This record gives sequence, C-alpha cells and structure tokens, in this order.
Amino acid sequence: MDLVLDDKVQALRAEIRAFFAEKLPADYARKTLAGDKLSKEEHIHWHSLLKEKGWHVPLWPKEHGGPGWGPMERFIWEEESGLAGAPRLNHVSQDLLGPVLIEFGTPEQKAELLPRILSSEDWWCQGFSEPQAGSDLANLQMRAVRDGDDYVVTGTKLWTSYAHVSNKIFCLVRTSTDGPKQAGISFLLVDMEQPGVTISPIYTLGHSLSVNEVQIEDVRVPVTNLVGREGGAWDITKFLLGNERLMGAWIGVNMAFARQVRARLNETGPDGRPRSENAVLAQRVAEVETDLLALRYTTYRVLSDELSGKAPGPEVSVIKVRGGEIMQALTELLMEMAEAEGMVHPYHLPEGGPPVVPVELEHMAQQFFDKRKLTIYGGSSEIQRNIIARRVLNV
Amino acid sequence: MDFNYDDNQRMLFDTVDRFLSDKHDLATREKLLKDPAAEAALWREMAELGLMGAAFTEEEGGFAASMVDAMVVMNRLGRHLVTQPYLYTAIIGGRIVAGGMEGGSREAAIANVIAGEAQLALAAGSTHLMHSPQDTSFAATRSGGDWLVSGRMPVVLNGDRATRFIVAARTAGAVGDREGVTLFLVDAGKAGVSRRALRTIDAFGAAELVLENVALSSDNLIGPVDNAVPLVEAALDHGVVAVCNEAIGSMEYLVPATAEYTRTRIQYGAPLAKFQVLQHRMADMYIQTETAKSMALVAAMSLDGDAIERRRMASAAKVQVGRSAKFVGYQAVQLHGGMGVSEELDIGHHYIRLNVINQLFGDTAFHARRFGALTSPLPDQAAA
Repeated sequence: MDLVLDDKVQALRAEIRAFFAEKLPADYARKTLAGDKLSKEEHIHWHSLLKEKGWHVPLWPKEHGGPGWGPMERFIWEEESGLAGAPRLNHVSQDLLGPVLIEFGTPEQKAELLPRILSSEDWWCQGFSEPQAGSDLANLQMRAVRDGDDYVVTGTKLWTSYAHVSNKIFCLVRTSTDGPKQAGISFLLVDMEQPGVTISPIYTLGHSLSVNEVQIEDVRVPVTNLVGREGGAWDITKFLLGNERLMGAWIGVNMAFARQVRARLNETGPDGRPRSENAVLAQRVAEVETDLLALRYTTYRVLSDELSGKAPGPEVSVIKVRGGEIMQALTELLMEMAEAEGMVHPYHLPEGGPPVVPVELEHMAQQFFDKRKLTIYGGSSEIQRNIIARRVLNV
Repeated sequence: MDFNYDDNQRMLFDTVDRFLSDKHDLATREKLLKDPAAEAALWREMAELGLMGAAFTEEEGGFAASMVDAMVVMNRLGRHLVTQPYLYTAIIGGRIVAGGMEGGSREAAIANVIAGEAQLALAAGSTHLMHSPQDTSFAATRSGGDWLVSGRMPVVLNGDRATRFIVAARTAGAVGDREGVTLFLVDAGKAGVSRRALRTIDAFGAAELVLENVALSSDNLIGPVDNAVPLVEAALDHGVVAVCNEAIGSMEYLVPATAEYTRTRIQYGAPLAKFQVLQHRMADMYIQTETAKSMALVAAMSLDGDAIERRRMASAAKVQVGRSAKFVGYQAVQLHGGMGVSEELDIGHHYIRLNVINQLFGDTAFHARRFGALTSPLPDQAAA
C-alpha cells in the first residue's frame, strides 16, 4: 500500500495544471464553475487550444490522434479539468462514441468518422433512453427494419443530451423481437440532418436546456452505419458505459464546488460575522468535505484495482450514487449560503445596467436544481442499489 | 381540542380550491409569468372572492375569525402552486399595517389591501431571506422634521408589483442592533425610488430596490421610531407559519400524485408501485407530511396567543416542515424519474418552491437555534 502517486503521474498533473493556468480562458472557467453554459463556438475554440497540445481527445490511443493515456492518466486529466473549470467538450463524441468506433468500427467507419470528430465537424448525441425504456433500457422500442441495403428506422428517443446542438445520433435500435430483449438490439449511426428526424427541446428545472426528445420516422439508414454486428449492441453499450464508469464520481468538479463552498464559509455573512461562526453550517461543510474525500479515495481504490488488472465491479455503483449525492449537497450549500442572492432565476434578471447580484451567484439556484438529475439518469440510485444487492450481497 | 376545520374554514378551503382548480393550472402559471395584466386580473379576482379579507380580523376590517383562516388559504395556494403574492401583501404586509399603523390611515391601508388595490413588499433585512430585520439595507437620516432614506436591497420579494414598500431603515445604532430600526411606508412612485424587476427561481416576482434620498415625513412612519424589530418579527412569524401551511398544501398533493405515477409507470414488466422499496419511500413521504402538517396547524393556532409560544411554535413548525418538505420534494422528483425534472410536470416546480420555502424567513438551522433559545434560554441567548 502506498498513498503517493508515482512521479510520472505527478509530473503529468503538474503539466496539466500549468497548461490550464496558461491556456484556459478565464471567462470559460468562470462560466463553467458558476453553472453557466458555454456556446458551441466557445467549445470549439477550447477544443482547438487543446488540439495544439494534443489533449483534445484524452481517451483515444496515439494512432488515432489521442495522447494514449492509461486509466490513471485519464483520471488525473478528469480531476484536473473539473477542478480548473475546463469545459467538458463534446463529451459524447469524444469520450463515448470515439472509443466505441476505435474498438468496434469498420475501417471505413474509422476513416470517415474519427477525423470528423477531431475537427468538430460532427457533434454526436446518444440515443439510448425512450419513453418506455428509462431504468429498464432493454425495453427499448425504436425499430430498425432491414430493407435492401438500408434499415428503416422509426421510434422516439427521450432525454437525449445536446441533441439540439448535434448533427448526428447513435441509437440503440431494435432489430429483432426474438429471444432475450438484449439480444435484439443493434448500435446504429443516424444522420439527424434529414427529413423524418424531429428534435424537440425539453426544458428542465430552472428552465435549463440540455435534453431533448428525438423522433425518427421512416428514416432510411444505410446498413454500413451499423456498428458491430446486428444484435450486438449490448456488449458495445457495456464497453461504452465502462469508459465513463469512474466519471460518475465527478471528483474534479466536486472538488471545485467544495473549494467554492469553503471560500463562502469563510466570508462574512449579511450579519457582519464570518459564516464559519455558524456551527451548524460549519459542520455541514466539513461533513460533505469528508464525504468527498472518502469518495475520492474510493475512486482511487477502484482505479488501483484496475491498474493491477482487476476488472471493476459493483463498487462503480458506490461511486455513481455518492458522486451524485455529494454534488447535490455541495450545490445546495452554495445556493443556501448565497441566501436571497442565490435564489434568483437567471433568465428573469433585468437586462442592462449593473448586475443585481454578483454574476457568480446568478446560476446558483438553477445549478442546484439542475443537479437533481444526477441520481436519476444513467441508472438511478435505486438501480445502482439493485446492482449492489444482486452482485455483492447475493440477494 | 379540535384539529378539524370549522364550517367556515371548510367553506373557505373549498371555495379557494374550486376557484384555483378552474383558474390556475401549470399552463396558466407559465402564461402569468409573461403577462402582468393577467397577473393583476387574477389578483383582483382573488380579492373579489374575499381572500384578502381572510387575513384580517373583523376588528381590522376583514372577516377572519382568527389567523388560521389565512393559513387555510395558504394551504390551497401551495397545492395549486400559485405565485400570487398573498403571503407578502395580505399576510406579512397586512400584519405590519394592522399592527403598526393607527387611525384613519390604518383603516385606509387595510381597506386598500382587502379591495385588491394595494401590493405590499417588505424590504427588511439585507441579502438574506429576511430572518433578521436588525440587519438593515437602508438608512434614514433626519432632515428638519423629515427623513431622508437611502439604500439598496438586491432581492425584495414582491418588489416588482409593490404599490407600496415597507422599508426597514436604520435610524440609530449599527447594523445588527435590535434597537434603532424604523419602518417607513414608501409609495413605489415616490421620487428617489427605483426598482428593477426580477424573478426568483420559484417564479415568484421580486425586484432590486434602490432608494436615493427619498424624502419622507412622520406620516410615512409605521410603528415606533427606533423600535420596529418586534413588529417586523411578529409579521415574519406569520410569514413563517404561512409558508409552512403553503408547504403542507404542496406536500399533500405530491404524495398521492407520486403514488399515482408509480401505479401507472411500467418498468421491468411491472408498475413501479410494486417495488417494496418505493412503497416504503412513499410511506415515509406520508409520515413526513402528516407530522409536518400537525406542526403547521399548531403553529397556525398559536399565532393569536402568547408571543413566546407563537415564536416557539413557529420555529418548531419551520424546522419540521423544512426537513419534511426537503424529503418529500426530493423523493417526489426521484420517483417521477426524468419526468420529475422536466418543466412539463408540476412536480419539479413544487420541489423548487419547497426548497425556497425552506430558506424563507430563516432556514431549518436558524429556527432550530431559535426554538432552543426560546425553550431553554442560555445566558447569552436571553436577548434573542
């Protein structure tokens, strides 16, 4: 046992920190840390800055343009990005689809699609959930019926993140209703810029826009857009989700929130006294900081297992549940400590003139309510507990 | 002892409920946010229905047998997720006007509220959500026989619609002193008054209020000079109990609505309601709602009695309701899954409002401390 990261990893951490300090535009970091959103143009600009350094697709191997990092380097990257307030780039294309294409794609798919991700020409979204397939993903109904060299696709995807800024979608589609539900599902790439595809925004709490409904009606998709074999999507999906299994901890982002919480605790409150004199508040802050520390080292434990060749197991569910709960607790503290100024609706503020509340507080309430989704999506906390019960407790 | 509504309260409850069922759904609520004329029209209808009068006793010119009547109204406003400022104008504003003004001007001010013509906004405290009126945002200086009041408060609840502001200004002492705070009634149109409208995250209206050397006379005073804190605190206690009862109306809706959703939502081949873990979760939501309701009613019935007991019960209710509302709101969203965080359903909007209620007029921690101090004062808390 050893708590110290090896020299190479520590050097990488220092290099990443130095890079962010030098290259990350302060405005992008401020917006990201304050729960505000960056425009697509700003994302693409940040992508170009990372590209100069070779860090624009951190999960990819060297031969496809990535840095060729292992799990520890990727995790350090994730941690430092979150902590610095680096925008999370076109994450679905780069972190989810890219590795899938590299692992399962045909040579033609790789040659055509990977460069388009690298150049930001393609922004992909992920078509998994459906109205009747949320927690029960295998229940999905979107049909793809083979007709000559095409599939004819019809169905509805729900809660599709960033569909409104994407031009393509990868979908789990039902190509067969025989046998086990999972075996009839295929992984299909669909161009959204064509007739028959309708994207409708879904506004979530605080009038946030990140998810959409995507309706696909009688859209012909060439068979060459199938990834892997027909009916083989379940393994691809497991691979894809595996790539973000430690991301559910949101360690870097949570550390950035914790830093803000601690800073506010040390400020003077409206009664002219430091907030830290409020014993209840000080205790709440210290407890969530401890929770975060415990989560961080649990994540490192999983990582160290992985490095010693052990396949990650149900402890990933521990990370997902706690990562979401801790972020909810931290953003709640931020909102509550900002008191009346933290309660404003960011889209109903006066236009022009000096800001009514400090700009870093404008999104505090919206941010807290937006984080409510964390324990619902990507396998709700109830589903994660089912996994633990089944796979650890054998009940 | 009787925890049931009497006939008049039952009738009031049913009247408000029918009115809001007809007039106010989620789509209407969205529309009102963009249509001040429609908001004003709804307010007038509420006044015509007599709701403002339910916040004033007969002696004051209303028809309330006790302040419990206004709490019955608050329960229904909570159920229907109404963003109309009944809390600010009729209850908090009403208590200050009725408790601090005198004679003909008091009578006129109350009549104004009851008729639905006035909108009141209390500008007390500072950047917090009004639990400490001794932390003032405004200062008043003597100028001959008059006063000049200046200051800025970023978020004044109902400040966007207020026809009159009730401004707590420091006239002596320093920020944080209980002595030295004076209340002024300030017409929104008066020279030196400026505001910029905004909304809080729960879609209620508010405004930044800036006063620049607003000239006021002794006619504008409410209550005693330099000693307004007790009056504001009494009004805010009514506000505390009002939002507790509003939260109960909201929770009493969320529990069955969540049960209904889990009965109809099929996953893994069965309704969600069949999963025992969710049954127990909803049973806990019910337990939280019922215990909170008991305290909200006790606090309502304690409003007209002994001041210490009023404060103690208001604080106890705020603690219980705050904790219950956080749990019930959170779980209602959780069990609705993605639909719970969508603006298309009212569930998430209730959750937001319940969180704001927890913060208003002092959060759980504040009121737990106050309850403790009132129950068994420690030497250094005796003054609180």
